[in-house]
Amino acid sequence: MTFRGRLALVLGATLALTGCNLLPGGQVDIPNVVCVGEATTYLDWLNGDLQPDEQDPISQPASTSGDLLEQVRQAGVLRISTDQNYAPQSFLQPDGTFVGFDIDVGTRIAEGLGVDVEFTHVDWDLITAGNWAGRWDISVGSMTITTPRKEILSFTQPYYYTPAYLAASTRSGITSVDQVPFELPTGATATTLPTDANCIESIQAGRPEFDLLITSGTVIDGAVAAGQPIVKIGEPIYQENLSVAIDKSGPPHAALLYEIDRIIGEMHADGSLTQLSQEWFEGEDLTQVATP
Amino acid sequence: MARFSELTGPTVPAEPEVVTRIDAGQRRRRFWFRVQFVLVWVVLIGLLVGALWASDKIDPSFIGTWAPFILAGAGLTIIICAGSIVLATGLALVGAIARLSPNPIIYSVASLYVSIVRGTPLLVQIFFIYFALPQLGIVLPALPAGIIALGFNYGAYMTEIFRAGIQAVPRGQREAAEALAMPEGLVMRRIVMPQAIRIVVPAIGNEFIAMIKDSALVSTISVTELLWRASSVGNQNFRTLETLLIAALVYWLLTMVFSLFQERLERRMARSDR
Repeated sequence: MTFRGRLALVLGATLALTGCNLLPGGQVDIPNVVCVGEATTYLDWLNGDLQPDEQDPISQPASTSGDLLEQVRQAGVLRISTDQNYAPQSFLQPDGTFVGFDIDVGTRIAEGLGVDVEFTHVDWDLITAGNWAGRWDISVGSMTITTPRKEILSFTQPYYYTPAYLAASTRSGITSVDQVPFELPTGATATTLPTDANCIESIQAGRPEFDLLITSGTVIDGAVAAGQPIVKIGEPIYQENLSVAIDKSGPPHAALLYEIDRIIGEMHADGSLTQLSQEWFEGEDLTQVATP
Repeated sequence: MARFSELTGPTVPAEPEVVTRIDAGQRRRRFWFRVQFVLVWVVLIGLLVGALWASDKIDPSFIGTWAPFILAGAGLTIIICAGSIVLATGLALVGAIARLSPNPIIYSVASLYVSIVRGTPLLVQIFFIYFALPQLGIVLPALPAGIIALGFNYGAYMTEIFRAGIQAVPRGQREAAEALAMPEGLVMRRIVMPQAIRIVVPAIGNEFIAMIKDSALVSTISVTELLWRASSVGNQNFRTLETLLIAALVYWLLTMVFSLFQERLERRMARSDR
């Protein structure tokens, strides 16, 4: 083939392929892929496997000897694990300290127990997998209570509730659920990144693999306020009960669980949880059960 | 062999003028070569920085707020490297002598260590020590786990380097020492090891430089060193370009400083060759 012939063939093929990508009406092709964090309940919802639950009833144990509560009191410090990249629940400041709603709640719990607090920043899927090997005592990280998690972690009463929302990138042009060109969740393919915060970063970086993501309403609001190119769409797809968790494979902790549960109950009653919620979630009080 | 200009004594003739002129010419050429080298580096780096600046995608105020926090991680990186270097060197010296031992048990144990550790990825070893050992009841905090993993891994590679260095010392040296009825320990300590170390300094220097960069892997077990801080801050604020550039720059500077030290050490040790 002559040079001009080959050039014409390549140009023609390129035009044809780009033409095929445009659907009738000039709409951009939206992949039926939804991004979620790996160790989150959002993935369970997409797989049709969400098993939300309440915490088991908590009663005061007969004695506290040998309990994790005693170890914590003896050490004088409560070690809390949290995810370091989950604004506004916990995030870094330039001076190296961590701030956020979860950080404040954890600090108040330690105050209630009469000990200092120390935050360890751990990958989220390690926290939800259990088997903490005694590296930290409790998790205050906005963890949803689900049936599978209850097998390996003990939960207190919820300290707040967030709705899980669907969000779309601005480039896709979707602003309501009707514009999504496939059924949710049955027609959707899930793709996972380590946490749901990474999904937003991916969209901001311009990755084309997905235009939809599921995460907590508070994370979406925080991202939109920071100028990220996503919009919240539709109504909440479900409500999450978020609690403090303790590893069941660690030392006996019935007394610690009871104490922390009692402290959270007090914080609900005297309004301090409401005040913290309004401070971090732009005036919204997420600590009351949402009315259906 | 000493230079003509370094000879001293009462009967040394004056240096011929042609030698002086050749020497001066060589020195001039070397000087201008180095000047051009530095100039090209400055121009290339300047172009890169200029292009980033002009693209307006870099936020200098963001860098200003977060740089102190990120750079503080370099201190921990240096501590990790120092600890691993000490551990690796200790393991390597013991391992090299074991690998040269006529005793089959000692030789086999050392060979097994070298084979397993060189045959598994460093990242797998780091994860193993931090995540898998707790299942066997051994729980190590993150920083010691990282140092042990790095030291163990590089100890295996350096074992082979030291062994090769010891074997490269001319046999005549050992034979002469034995002819003087030197005990084995003294032969190793005063004759063989000093010469072996001189031979392996370039290779060991390379290993240390590689270790500085491999210390970044320790960020995967939540040690708050340079890379952990850079990627945390970058991901959180959606500005990974700035933070990772800072981290890359610091690693580059650290390895350059180390290379300079290694060069000077090599030159010092090679003095007896002239």
